[in-house]
Amino acid sequence: MNLMASAPGLLEKVAFVVLAASALGGALLTITRKSAEGALIALVGTFCAVAGLYASLSAHFLAVLQVLVYAGAIMVLFIFAVMIVNREETQPIALRGLFLRAASVLATGYLFYRVAWIVVREKQTDVLASSAALPIPGFGTVASIGHLLFTDFLFPFESISILLLVAVVGGVLLSRPSRPGGDAI
Amino acid sequence: MPGYCYILVSLALFFIGTAGVLLRRNALFVLMSLELQLAAGSLALLTFSRGLGDEKGHVVAFFVMALAAAEAAVGLAIVVSVYRTRRKIDLDAINELRN
Repeated sequence: MNLMASAPGLLEKVAFVVLAASALGGALLTITRKSAEGALIALVGTFCAVAGLYASLSAHFLAVLQVLVYAGAIMVLFIFAVMIVNREETQPIALRGLFLRAASVLATGYLFYRVAWIVVREKQTDVLASSAALPIPGFGTVASIGHLLFTDFLFPFESISILLLVAVVGGVLLSRPSRPGGDAI
Repeated sequence: MPGYCYILVSLALFFIGTAGVLLRRNALFVLMSLELQLAAGSLALLTFSRGLGDEKGHVVAFFVMALAAAEAAVGLAIVVSVYRTRRKIDLDAINELRN
C-alpha cells in the first residue's frame, strides 16, 4: 500500500511491462519452436498474458472468456491435432524460396515500422492518450456486455450459433475417414 | 497506461504472427500464428473501446473469439484430413492443385 501511495501508476506500469513482455516473448517462442508441444505451451502462456492485458483495459468479461475459450477450448483442439499429426520437422523454416520469404518478412517489418511510427506520432490524441482505468461505472462487466449483445447485436449474436453449428458439422465431416472402415488413425 | 502502449504491443503481436504465417512450413504452426494475429486484433479493439468509452468494441472482440473457435475447429479438421491422405502437413509439399 505504501508503494501505491508513493507512486500511483507504478504498479500498473510494472504489470503492463511484465504482461506485454511475456505476451511478446511467448509469441516469439511459439513461432520459433521446433516441436509443436513446446510451441503450444508458449501459446497458452501468450494467451494468458493477453488476457491479463485485457483485464488491465477493464475488459473483465473478455479476459475471462479469453482464458476459457483460447487457453482452454482452442488449445485442447490443438493438443488433439498435435497428438494425431506429430511430425518432427527436420527443417522448420523452408530454405527453398528463402529469398522470397526473407523479402516478405522485411516488407512486413517495414510495414510494422511505418504503422508504429504513425501510432507514436498520434499518441497525444484523446483516444490514444487516455489511460482512465474505468471510464464508465460498470464498463466491461458481464451485465453491460450482455445487455449490448441482446439489444443492438442480437442478430449477429444469433448468427454466431449457426456459424458454430456449421463449424462443428464441417469439422466432423472433414476429419472422418473417407471410406467406411478406412484407415483410422 | 496510455492507449498507444497497448496499440504498440498489439502491432508487435500481429506482426510476429504474420512472420510465423510467412516463415513456417508446418500447417499446425501456421494455424497457431493465425490465432496470435486474431488475439492481437482483439487487443487493439479493446484498447480503442476503452479510449472511446464505448463498449461495442468488446462485443466485436467477443465475435472474433467465436470466429477463432470456428476457424480452429475447421482448420485443424482440414489438417488432420490432409495428413490422412498425404501423410504430410508440410505446406510447401502440398501442391497438388498447382499444375
